[in-house]
Amino acid sequence: MVVSKSLEDVAVIYPQGYLNNLVGESLEKECNACIGKGIKKIVLDFSKTKFINSIGISILLSIIEKLKKHNGILCFTSLNKMHEEIFEMLGITKYALVFRNEDEALKHFRVAVKE
Amino acid sequence: MSLELKRILYNISALADLGQEVTSKKNFNEKIRSVLYVIMGTFLAVKGAIFSYEKDKKEIVPIVMKGFDSAFPSRLTIDLAHIESMKKNEAYRLAEDGNPVASDLLLSQLSHAGVEIFVPLWTRDELIGALALSSKFTAEPYSTEDFELLKVIANQIAITLHNHTLFMDLSAQLEENQKLYQEMRLIYHDTIQAFAAAIDAKDVYTKNHSYRVAKYVVAIARELGWDESDIEGIYIAGLLHDVGKIILRDELLNKKSPLTKEEIMEIKRHPSLSYNIISKIKFPWKDVVTIVRHHHERPDGSGYPDALKGEELSDGAKILTLADAFDAMTTDRPYRSKLDLKSAIEELRNCLGTQFDPKIMGAFCRVLEKEIKGELPEPNILPHLDDNFDPSIITSLLEATIKELSV
Repeated sequence: MVVSKSLEDVAVIYPQGYLNNLVGESLEKECNACIGKGIKKIVLDFSKTKFINSIGISILLSIIEKLKKHNGILCFTSLNKMHEEIFEMLGITKYALVFRNEDEALKHFRVAVKE
Repeated sequence: MSLELKRILYNISALADLGQEVTSKKNFNEKIRSVLYVIMGTFLAVKGAIFSYEKDKKEIVPIVMKGFDSAFPSRLTIDLAHIESMKKNEAYRLAEDGNPVASDLLLSQLSHAGVEIFVPLWTRDELIGALALSSKFTAEPYSTEDFELLKVIANQIAITLHNHTLFMDLSAQLEENQKLYQEMRLIYHDTIQAFAAAIDAKDVYTKNHSYRVAKYVVAIARELGWDESDIEGIYIAGLLHDVGKIILRDELLNKKSPLTKEEIMEIKRHPSLSYNIISKIKFPWKDVVTIVRHHHERPDGSGYPDALKGEELSDGAKILTLADAFDAMTTDRPYRSKLDLKSAIEELRNCLGTQFDPKIMGAFCRVLEKEIKGELPEPNILPHLDDNFDPSIITSLLEATIKELSV
């Protein structure tokens, strides 16, 4: 449901499929686990996310709030047009850095991409 | 597309999400959690809670919440008059520009805990709970449209909560009824046990006879694959089969010398006396009274009181006949000493077809054999037999009988 990897002090998380309660809750758990381990730079890559509903939005808000409290940084990458429009309309994009893809986000964090 | 239109579309899809969650097959707790998430996602609230109203305590209790810290009150007393003065399912703002506007104690407590929007949830004339939301994530104020939408949503969750409350009330009622039934059942059993003890006490020679017979009939019925309710019924029949003896004179029951013809006639009245007594009772199990009436009938039609033949007798009556005779044989009587187990089984065998039914005898032998071999966790017959029998002799006798009966 949620796939993640950590690269130094950055975690990249890929929510899969439908971001509703089931996936949403495991996404939140995963982010909390990262924050718990001291990783405060989180990249959410939406390339594998098909759909985000209002539940998904409320989960994203919780993640943003939690990171705010810990002075962390949240990045959104690989947003499709629909996701981007919703996020912008709701004003969520103001609280996260948006990059076209994961690599750009990692570059921003100056993490060497090992391929 | 204008921002406003996008916003409307998002709200519509949120309402669709709500409908989907409300009607989903999830259990109530998951459902109501999803509902809260939908609402928080719709209004971009970072904190939210749904409360249910506990009428008897006049308190609201959060059944789901998110984002609030652990200091959030676990229950809050409400001022019903104040809540009633508020509009049903309508959202109220508790703070304006960060300053509390609430005068009511409950509302100022909530405001203090970070609640900005409070919605009392009603179905018709019944307060059912409440919804609380914090300020928006984007720090924007709740708009007029938000208030309109909240009202629609509040109606929806009020119904969901109400349905759940109804269901819980029914479940509680059911549980209470089951508890009462169990208690009644215990009282019933105790009463019958007391009755059986009274019968057994009257006849010193047959002490605990009813109790043992009840145990034996249960063993045989279970071996025959009866269901638990029918087994309970025949157990009761076993306990009560001799209740009619209460009417007979003590001297007659305990007489050592041979009985006269008249005395025998008198004693033979006991099954119908028992029947007359217990037929006034409405038993929750079937056949108890007829089983009792027929426990001295014989398959050859020479029994009493109705001289019924084999096929006219129920299995229950036949089981009780055999168990009753077996206990009579294996205990001392005023006029003779008891038989040993081997002789008793042989006696039963000799009377097959005339006095006892072969099918019932087969089941009796099988269950006794199982008990001797230790195959049954709770033996019903062995613990009551006062006999130093040789297990191997009895086992081979039982095996031979079972084999004979199966041919």
